[in-house]
Amino acid sequence: MAHAHSVKRHTGLMDWLTTVDHKKIGILYLIAGALFFGIGGIEALMIRWQLIKPMNDFVSAQTFNELITMHGTTMIFLGVMPIIFALMNAVIPLQIGARDVAFPFLNSLGFWTFLFGGLLLNISWIMGGAPDAGWTAYVPLSSTMYSESHGVDFYTVGLQIAGLGTLIGGINFLATIITMRAPGMSFMRMPMFTWTAFITSAIILFAFPAVTVGLVLLSFDRILGANFFEVGNGGNPVLWQHIFWIFGHPEVYILILPAFGVISEVIPTFARKRLFGYSSMVFATILIAFLGFMVWAHHMFTTGMGPVANALFSISTMLIAVPTGIKIFNWLFTLWGGQIRFTAANLYASGFIPTFVMGGVTGVMLASAPADYQFHDTYFVVAHFHYVIVGGLVLGLFSGLHYWWPKMFGRVLDEKLGKVGFWFFIIGFHMTFFVQHFLGLLGMQRRIFTYRGDQGFDTMNLISTIGALLMAVGVLVFLLNVIITSTKPANAPNDPWEDGRTLEWSIPSPPPEYNFKQIPLVRGLDAYWKEKMAGHTEMTPAEPVGPIHMPSASILPFVMSVGIFVAGLGFMYHQYVVLGIGLVVTFGCMVIRSLYDDHGWHIDPEETTEKKGVKA
Amino acid sequence: MSQHNTNQGSAVRHRHRTEGPQKHIIAFIFSIVLTLIAFATVAAGGVNTSFTIILLVVMAILQVLVQLGYWMHMKDKGHLIPILFLAFGFFVAGATVLTALYLVWW
Repeated sequence: MAHAHSVKRHTGLMDWLTTVDHKKIGILYLIAGALFFGIGGIEALMIRWQLIKPMNDFVSAQTFNELITMHGTTMIFLGVMPIIFALMNAVIPLQIGARDVAFPFLNSLGFWTFLFGGLLLNISWIMGGAPDAGWTAYVPLSSTMYSESHGVDFYTVGLQIAGLGTLIGGINFLATIITMRAPGMSFMRMPMFTWTAFITSAIILFAFPAVTVGLVLLSFDRILGANFFEVGNGGNPVLWQHIFWIFGHPEVYILILPAFGVISEVIPTFARKRLFGYSSMVFATILIAFLGFMVWAHHMFTTGMGPVANALFSISTMLIAVPTGIKIFNWLFTLWGGQIRFTAANLYASGFIPTFVMGGVTGVMLASAPADYQFHDTYFVVAHFHYVIVGGLVLGLFSGLHYWWPKMFGRVLDEKLGKVGFWFFIIGFHMTFFVQHFLGLLGMQRRIFTYRGDQGFDTMNLISTIGALLMAVGVLVFLLNVIITSTKPANAPNDPWEDGRTLEWSIPSPPPEYNFKQIPLVRGLDAYWKEKMAGHTEMTPAEPVGPIHMPSASILPFVMSVGIFVAGLGFMYHQYVVLGIGLVVTFGCMVIRSLYDDHGWHIDPEETTEKKGVKA
Repeated sequence: MSQHNTNQGSAVRHRHRTEGPQKHIIAFIFSIVLTLIAFATVAAGGVNTSFTIILLVVMAILQVLVQLGYWMHMKDKGHLIPILFLAFGFFVAGATVLTALYLVWW
């Protein structure tokens, strides 16, 4: 086996287009996610600028509708989910002591389909108008009768393609975590971030098919003249709401669980204590995922489902507060009595806890069906979901990025700038969204493009807009931090926080291509910490030094995604020749992939030992 | 998909290989017989319609069980996680369809 045969190594741009290395794909996800996060952020600022004063005419009502639709869609599907995938790609294989994900080729395919789906959605801006029916695309608002431009077609086709990528990614991580854990790492010894990534992937597996079906039905209604949601022909618009939320509610747990995972890694590291109540954390995560599938109709209390259904969905929704509360208390008890260091990562993590609790409390308020009749479609709802998504997930992502940046790039982010960014972001965040609770209670509806001056909305809207600008400053400080850090030498040690507990800190930053020269032996929870406490400086290997089998790079995922992108555009505009060409490209690549046996290549033991020598 | 660098999972694959073809042949014949019964019942005609429907559903369920158990290896050891995921998938899909039917149309 150990014969060395030369492999074609790509360099430069070609390297990034063909890479199947999970660490590089993680960086690609991060770049793409940051790009879309920026676009979504600019849309948010434009929304807030329009609402800064009564009767403003910064944008038209139509543009405003497009802005809110694209802000929601872009942020959720193309902004934060790829950044979650970036962290998962960068960290999960390292945390479980694996050399890559289970299906490196699919990993690359998942990224490129997501990217081209996202690009398809966003080129709508320059191709006759963006989608304008809200990120929920409720029919009949999203039907051709009320939304004549191709905007919503970009939504259905773009999300379909991006969703394909997400589904591929989710299945890949399930397979990776189930089959590729290092010897000794039982399920109950997995780091918490790996656990939440695992459960998140499972939710993706079960929730995304629902939106796939929904988007197929909606695009058939719009593009091929079907009648799934057309009342005049026996369709039912409420069906769309059910399908959308059967996906949409689990989706919010897809978003928040990885943030829980990040917090559960950062807090023990910087409190210098093991995570309090590890098994209850695991149990709570599973329970949240399970309950998450039976609460979707709480988005639809006002559609007239009747008191029985409303009561049942109220109760199931409130039940989710129990496992979530378990998690909150576990984090607090982890901090309790710890030797806490407030690094930027830990600041974000500590900011997360109270902020997320506030979002959770308004969640329970909204879960109460009678009260929801008052809150429904007001700014109270807007405040609630921004508290859980921005105050929960985005703070968690920033925490995770500061924490794992050295592992991803070999450079520690500047602590001082990190802290400055944090304070701008969190103060701006609370300024923006705290007042929106009261705007909602005063009766300001969600998604209105302007308001009259005599309703008592003026001051709070002004405060909210100033807060949004402060958040933008916070994000720019982070960006500045990234740029400044990237000019510094890449000299981060293996374990830059010195109290790293999990396997990723036992290898160089950034890790070599093959991650582990020898797969480590895991002797307990917090495997690396356990070795440290036993007086060792590195992990005990579970295998002798030998040749390492590596997957081959491939351009096929990129070409396949271009094919799907072209096919999607052709489908939208009824250009069936274009559709055919796109599908031929995609399926042609699948044929090539199936017929051409690629056995990968090997890295010789001499090479790995030599590299280690240089590093030391 | 390339089998790269895994050092787990080979035990399960190995056992499948040594199991021998007998069971698979029996399962294959069983699958065909089930299909034949279903076809024959319809082709014969004259059988009570509601009986035919019930028979077809029963044949379909048996067919699914054979497919999952033998061809998808669900009956083998070490398949607890696939079974869990499949069961949860059935649960989610079933709950979804039933609830949506109930809430939307009844």
